[in-house]
Amino acid sequence: MSETVATQPQFVLAGVLGLLFALGTFLVLRRDIVRVVWGVTIISQATNAYLVTMGGFAGSVPIISGHGGHGSTTDPLVQALVLTAIVIGFGTTAFALVLTYRVYEEHGTIDMNELGEST
Amino acid sequence: MNQLVIAPLLVALVTAILTLVVRRFSTIQRGVSLLGGVVYVAAVAALWTEIDPLGASNVIAYQVGDWRAPFGITLVADSLSVFMLALAAVVSLAALAFSVQYVDEFGQRLSYHPLYHFMLVGVTGAFLTGDVFNLFVWFEVMLMSSYVLVVFYSGPEHTRAALQYVVLNLIGSAVMLLAIGGIYATTGTLNMAQLAERLATDSGNIARLPVLGLSALLFTVFALKSGIAPFQFWVPAAYRAAPAPVSAMLAGVVKKVGIYAIIRLYFTVFAGLTIPGGLTLPGLAGNSALAFFGPVMFIMASASILLGGIGAIGRDDVDGLLAYSSIGQVGFIVLPLAIGATVPGVRTLAITAALIYSLNHALAKGLLFLASGSVFSAVGTDRFADLGGLTRKNPVLSGVFFVGALSLIGIPPLSGFFGKFLVFRVAGDAGATLALAIALTGAILTIAYFSRAWNRGFWGSESAMVEQGGTPTGIAVLSVLAALVLLVGIGFDPVYLAAESAARAATEPQTYINAVMGGGGK
Repeated sequence: MSETVATQPQFVLAGVLGLLFALGTFLVLRRDIVRVVWGVTIISQATNAYLVTMGGFAGSVPIISGHGGHGSTTDPLVQALVLTAIVIGFGTTAFALVLTYRVYEEHGTIDMNELGEST
Repeated sequence: MNQLVIAPLLVALVTAILTLVVRRFSTIQRGVSLLGGVVYVAAVAALWTEIDPLGASNVIAYQVGDWRAPFGITLVADSLSVFMLALAAVVSLAALAFSVQYVDEFGQRLSYHPLYHFMLVGVTGAFLTGDVFNLFVWFEVMLMSSYVLVVFYSGPEHTRAALQYVVLNLIGSAVMLLAIGGIYATTGTLNMAQLAERLATDSGNIARLPVLGLSALLFTVFALKSGIAPFQFWVPAAYRAAPAPVSAMLAGVVKKVGIYAIIRLYFTVFAGLTIPGGLTLPGLAGNSALAFFGPVMFIMASASILLGGIGAIGRDDVDGLLAYSSIGQVGFIVLPLAIGATVPGVRTLAITAALIYSLNHALAKGLLFLASGSVFSAVGTDRFADLGGLTRKNPVLSGVFFVGALSLIGIPPLSGFFGKFLVFRVAGDAGATLALAIALTGAILTIAYFSRAWNRGFWGSESAMVEQGGTPTGIAVLSVLAALVLLVGIGFDPVYLAAESAARAATEPQTYINAVMGGGGK
C-alpha cells in the first residue's frame, strides 16, 4: 500500500512533465521571440521538475524532523541540484528577456521571419 | 600541494572581480586584466610542473572543504586537464593582449575585461571539475559570459546572432540537465570517478541501457557546444558577430571544452559501460558503449569536415570563411576520436591525435581570427571584394595570416603538419579507408579555401580601401603567436609526449579513480 502511494506522484508528474515539454517545444517553434523565450523558460522549468522527480519519492519529506525514526526520506541531493539549476535559470531567463528587448530596439520587430530577412 | 589545483580558477576569478572594481580607471583596468592573464599562465605552469605530464604524470584531486569524494565537490587535475589548461592559457593571454589594443575605449570600460575573465573561469572550471553536475554549472558560467560577448557590439546582426546562440544553448543546457538527472537516477552518483568505477565493476546492478541512452543524449549537448554537424548552424553567425579576440577564444578554447568533455566522459567514464548481449543497434560492434559512439562520431565528424570545407569555399568575407573552416577543423578533431572509439588498439594514439589537432587548431585559428580583426581595424572591412593587395601594404600582417593558413593546411615545419599527420596515421593504423578518404577530401578543401582567401584578400593589386587604410593593431601579438605555431612544430617532441600522457590519462581510468576516491583529502 505504502509503495503505491509513494510511486503515484511520479506517474502524475511524468504526465505533467510530458505536457510541459510539449508546450515548451511548441512555443520555441513560434515566430514571436517573446514566445520563444517563454518556451525556453518552460522547458528549463520542466527540466527542474524532472530533476526532482528523478530523486524518487521514497518519503514525504526531504529531511526528517527530529533526526530519524520517521521512515524513509526523499533524496535531498536532487533538491540541492535543482536549487542551483533554478538560480542559473533565473539569470539566463533575465538575459534572454533583455536580449529580446535589444532585438526589438535594433530591428523594430520581434517576428522571427522578418528578423531573418533584414540583413 | 593539492591546493594548487584551484590556483588557475582563483586567479581568473580574482582578476574578473578586480577588473570590475577598477572599471572607472581604464588604464589600470587593462593593466590588471593583462597581469591577470600572465598570472593565469603562471598558475597553469605551476600546476603543470606539479602534475609533471612528461615524467611521473600525477593525478591530483582537491576535495573542496575537505568533504571527501563522492560526497563533496572534487576538482581533479591530471595530464589531460593540464594539457587543455595550457592550451587555454596561451590562447587567452594572446587574445587578451590583442584586445587591449583592438577593443575600443567604450567597450573596454564597459564590460569587456570582467566578462572575458569570467568566461575563462568557466573554461577552467570545466577542465578541472570532477563531477558531472559541476560540469553543467561551469558550462553555464562560461556560456553566460560568452552570450554577452557575442552581442558585444549590439548592432542588428549581433543581436540576431546572439538570440540564436542563446536560445540554442539554453535548450542545450536543459537537455544536459535532463541527461545528468537521469544518469544520477540510474547510477546513484554524479562523481565522474565513482561513475566510472560503478559502470566498470558492477554494471550488472545498474540498468545499463538507460545509461547508454542518457549518455547519447548528453553527447548531443557536447556536440552542440563544440559545433559538430548537425549542430553546427549557430557557429558562423556567432563567430562573425563577436569581436575578433572573442571569436579567437570561442573557436580556440570554448569549443575545445566540448571536445574535452567528450574525451573525459566517453573515454574515461562511459568506456567501462558494457551493453547487455542480444541488443542489436546499427553499428554496434562488441559490447562496449564506446563501440556504439564510434560510428555516431564518425558520421558527425565526416559531415562536419565536408560541410565546413564546402561552406568555407563559398564565403565572401574572412570571418565567415574562418567560422566555416572551424566547423571543418573540429570534424578533424572528432574523426580520430571516432576511430579510437571503434578500434581499441589505436585508442591512445587516436586521443593523442585529437589533442594535438586541438592544440594546433587553437593556436592557428586563434592567430587567424586575430589577424582578421587586425585586417578589419586597418582596412575597415573583411569582405574579399574590398580587400586585395594587403601583401604590399602590410607584409607582416599578411605573413602571419599565411603562417596560420599554412598551419591549418598542414605544411611540415608548422604545428598543423603533425596534427594532420597523426589523424592520417590513426586512420591508416586502424585500416579505416573511408576515414582516410574523408580526411583527404577535407585536407584538399582546406587548401582550396585558404588559397582562395589568399588570392582574393592578400594578393593582387591594392584596392581603394586597402590604399586608404590605416595601420593594423596587435602586430606584435600576432607575430608571437605565429612564432609559437612554428615553435610547436619544430620542438614537437615534448608536445607529443605531453599529449600522449594526456591520452593515457584519459584511457586509464583506474589512476583517476584511485586519486579521487582514495581520499586525496589532506
